[in-house]
Amino acid sequence: MVARRFVVPVLVAAVMAACSSPPPPPPEPAGPTAEEIEAARQDSIRRAEEAAEAARRRAEEEARAAAERAHREAVAAARAVLQQMVFFDYDQAEIREDAAESLRAKVGILRASPQVQIRIAGHADERGSTEYNMALGNRRAEAVKAFLAGFGIDGSRFTVVTFGESQPRAQGSTEEAWAQNRRAEFTITAGADAINPAN
Amino acid sequence: MRTMIAGASDGRGAGMRRSGHVVRGAALALLGLTQMFAPGRIGAQERDSIPGVTLGLLYESAYRPTVGIKPFTGRFGGDALAPRVEAIIGRDVRYSDRFETLESIPEALAGEGIDYTLWDRLNTDWIVSGQVEGSGDGFVLLLELHDVVFREVKERGRFPIPDEADDDFRMAVHRVSDAIVEWITGEPGMAASRVAFSMQGPGTAWEIYVIDSDGENLRRVTNYANTSLSPAWSPDGTRLAFTSYKEDDTPRVFEVDLGTGRERALAVTREGQYMTPSYHPDGQLMAFSVMNGPRSGLFTYNFDRDCCLTHLTGGSWDDISPAFSADGRWIAYTTNRFGEYTPQIQIIPSRGGTSETLSPYEYGANSYYADPDWSPTQEMVAFHGRIRRGRYQILVADLADRGHRLRQVTWEGNNEAPSWAPDGRHLVFAGERDWGFGLMIVDVATGKIRSLIGGRRVDVPDWSPALRPAS
Repeated sequence: MVARRFVVPVLVAAVMAACSSPPPPPPEPAGPTAEEIEAARQDSIRRAEEAAEAARRRAEEEARAAAERAHREAVAAARAVLQQMVFFDYDQAEIREDAAESLRAKVGILRASPQVQIRIAGHADERGSTEYNMALGNRRAEAVKAFLAGFGIDGSRFTVVTFGESQPRAQGSTEEAWAQNRRAEFTITAGADAINPAN
Repeated sequence: MRTMIAGASDGRGAGMRRSGHVVRGAALALLGLTQMFAPGRIGAQERDSIPGVTLGLLYESAYRPTVGIKPFTGRFGGDALAPRVEAIIGRDVRYSDRFETLESIPEALAGEGIDYTLWDRLNTDWIVSGQVEGSGDGFVLLLELHDVVFREVKERGRFPIPDEADDDFRMAVHRVSDAIVEWITGEPGMAASRVAFSMQGPGTAWEIYVIDSDGENLRRVTNYANTSLSPAWSPDGTRLAFTSYKEDDTPRVFEVDLGTGRERALAVTREGQYMTPSYHPDGQLMAFSVMNGPRSGLFTYNFDRDCCLTHLTGGSWDDISPAFSADGRWIAYTTNRFGEYTPQIQIIPSRGGTSETLSPYEYGANSYYADPDWSPTQEMVAFHGRIRRGRYQILVADLADRGHRLRQVTWEGNNEAPSWAPDGRHLVFAGERDWGFGLMIVDVATGKIRSLIGGRRVDVPDWSPALRPAS
């Protein structure tokens, strides 16, 4: 661009000079040659193309990164869904509706992630017999396993353990604390790097 | 340990004693648990909150003899130790819940000799006097039990007592206390015993601890920084078995030798979660629960010979918390075979056979009974039940009546997991009160409760047998 802007006023000046006064000595060629102009033109085109290519690559990379980020977020979300606890009613091992929803969300992920294995830990609140609560925790964990297996997930992908009332999440002898403590927890024991979001 | 210099028992029965006191003779002979079976005593509280079952603690109106403890003396270097020994024995005598005790002794009774007339005026029936003598590498306690009624020495004993710094010092003194209980009542005491239990902390870990029957000498047994629960004493009092998650965060049964610290794991020959061990009185056979999937059952295993896993009972329900009878022929346990939400107590022959239901199960009633423990001295099983308003209380079932007579022995707060003392009269249990959690001891004959340890989360106690001196 710079070269062309320079060339035009020089030519105009030369023509004007030729029309008025006695012809001066033929001017020394003041501008670039046509070859030079063409080279400059080609050069500028090439640079523009390079810039465009870089922008395209950048955009592509950004898109790839965004996709990767989105995937990672989806995997993280899937992992969080897999690890999401479910809660139970007092002295019950039945799967509540809110728990069923959470477990159904796990099913799709487990189907898409066949290498993933999970340990289901059943817990109880502090009320009632400490030893019998071991059985209650086990029944809760087994109920969760049976629910997931009911959706066709291979039961051998789960191990079950009961902690009874020994590992409360919430301290205190209140309804709120008890509700937090009647739960099943999920630990990914294998395939943690092969989690796929549900299809 | 106990060397009798002179046995002064002369065959004169308790029935010959003077009649000035209520229920004198018979009460002395029967003092203890037998009292609890007497129907319709004064002060009985009856309640019919469980259909067909009588609930109610029989508060004894029975006569409790008064024991006076004359200040112990010392010689040959035993002077400093004498009041310490006397204090331990004095508290043990009160904790036995079998006697009235004197708050303080008049100056006149502390001196030389025994003024029977003056003691008698204080309504004292028995006087304990003692002298602590330095003896070689330790001490000897010369003890006398005086019968105020007959104005004579009824029993004499010579008890070696180690130095106070010795690990066995307190237990040696507790054995003297149990001798006094036995001299007077003819029944075993429980002072020389310990309670094993689990306690939480520091952090979230549950470790196994032991504490003396008088609440002293707390000691930690495990240091696994994990969950360990449900300790059970071996019948000789030298080992503890328990459930622990120390390996793979999975419940397994372990045994620790309290003398050597040696630890053993129960061989796992079958998949599953192993928990709630209990020793047969032979000290070899162990019963425990195995949960495998939605099924569970009770098994026995000869831990000594590392042999022979035997299935006793089980199915697609939960069987847990086995406890052997004193003769080893029966096991009481918790089962929910009648319904997921209604655990009951059953008994089964320990070699296998047909189960019988001990708790007052009633179809559809949704009752809750758990954690049985068989009395070491009587055909009785203690457990806890949900009584009213979702509260858990300690109950005692009399097998003579096929369990149809239940006595409720706690009334306040929540109370779980009872375990019998070697005297067959006291129960330790995990209690919850407004102020927190603790282990408590109830005298089932009087309903009297004392605290053993409190403050932190404590759970599932097991009372040891009478602890003999280490040989």
